Amino acid sequence: MKHLLIGFIRAWRFAISPLYGQVCRYHPSCSAYALEAVTEHGAVRGTWLSVRRLGRCHPWSDGGYDPVPPRVPSHAPGVGSTTPSQGA
Amino acid sequence: MIDFFVSIGSAIMTPLYYVISFVLVGFHNVFGDLFGPTSGLAWVLSIIGLTLVVRAALIPLFVKQIKSSRNMQLIQPKVRELQKKYGHDRERLAQETMKLYKDSGTNPFASCLPILLQMPIFLALFRILDQAARNPETKRGLMTPELNEQLSAAVFAGGKISDTFLNADGVEVRVLAAVLVLAMTATTFLTQRQLMSKNMPADALSGPYAQQQKMLLYVLPVVFAVGGIAFPVGVLFYWTTSNLWTMAQQFYVIRNNPAPGTPAFKAKEDRDRAKAAKKGIAIEPEVTEAPVVTEVKPPRQQPQRQTKAQRNQKKKR
Repeated sequence: MKHLLIGFIRAWRFAISPLYGQVCRYHPSCSAYALEAVTEHGAVRGTWLSVRRLGRCHPWSDGGYDPVPPRVPSHAPGVGSTTPSQGA
Repeated sequence: MIDFFVSIGSAIMTPLYYVISFVLVGFHNVFGDLFGPTSGLAWVLSIIGLTLVVRAALIPLFVKQIKSSRNMQLIQPKVRELQKKYGHDRERLAQETMKLYKDSGTNPFASCLPILLQMPIFLALFRILDQAARNPETKRGLMTPELNEQLSAAVFAGGKISDTFLNADGVEVRVLAAVLVLAMTATTFLTQRQLMSKNMPADALSGPYAQQQKMLLYVLPVVFAVGGIAFPVGVLFYWTTSNLWTMAQQFYVIRNNPAPGTPAFKAKEDRDRAKAAKKGIAIEPEVTEAPVVTEVKPPRQQPQRQTKAQRNQKKKR
């Protein structure tokens, strides 16, 4: 399942993303985020994180630097740049 | 597991079939009266009408985006500082630039929402067209068997609009599909090139990012060709119209809301000045304007200090 998703996201990033250029208000972009999230967190949690990120990516959001939360502390996924470990 | 996805999919698609077919049939009532309900022209115009309705419905998102990129001028000096500081490190530069956008509440990008919304619409149109040809007796949304028959039999410029390049009977569909693929490639290519040549600062054009962008321009035709071969002609009409809309929209942005420090920005200033001169008012040169290549001039005194303060400020957040 995980590899299926990764393959799908890779194909998307290769074939579909170029069609519209950069639109994402975040870094990493939503598809890069999804790829990393699924790779790091597996199919279920990765998909969940990606769906939430896509939900955040609308014109009313400020965007910004929003990395995939790290895997080790398995609790409280810090949303966006409020993650304290993101200082340096 | 698969059942689960299928039911999620149909829960999303079923209302969409109704919405899409409502708009499509609505237009077809008008164009069908004008050109005959079985004519390809009526159906093609209906599909184009559907595209225009969809894109018009997304205008509020576009307006919001324009508003939120209005202050780009004000933060441009800071963006330049970041480029100087992290120019060698693309990843870090992207992070810091995005942070700056967030902190200043100014973001030039459209967000993923418009694409996310258009994806299922595109899919729904594809399904309606495809199924009208395959299972015309099944009602889908407001597409009755009769309408399905009309749609699947509609011929435009000698080709059936429900045919794809791959399963085409005659050469007409292939010609039509090829023309549309060319049109889509051309519009997207022009949109991207216009963005790069007119609305990007010179320093953003030289990096590896720009290199990558340029490469995409060669990938585009391939992707469109693959899509154009697999999708029915009717869907290609939707796609092409949507691309044209995007191009026009971008033209509007570049003309009225150009990014600071770009040729388009300068052109707008010149226009504004000429307009003001015509009215007899002298306008002092914009304070925020910074010429494209100022990198040589103020490297010492200011940037060092400011970036540090900025960085500290960011650490506190």
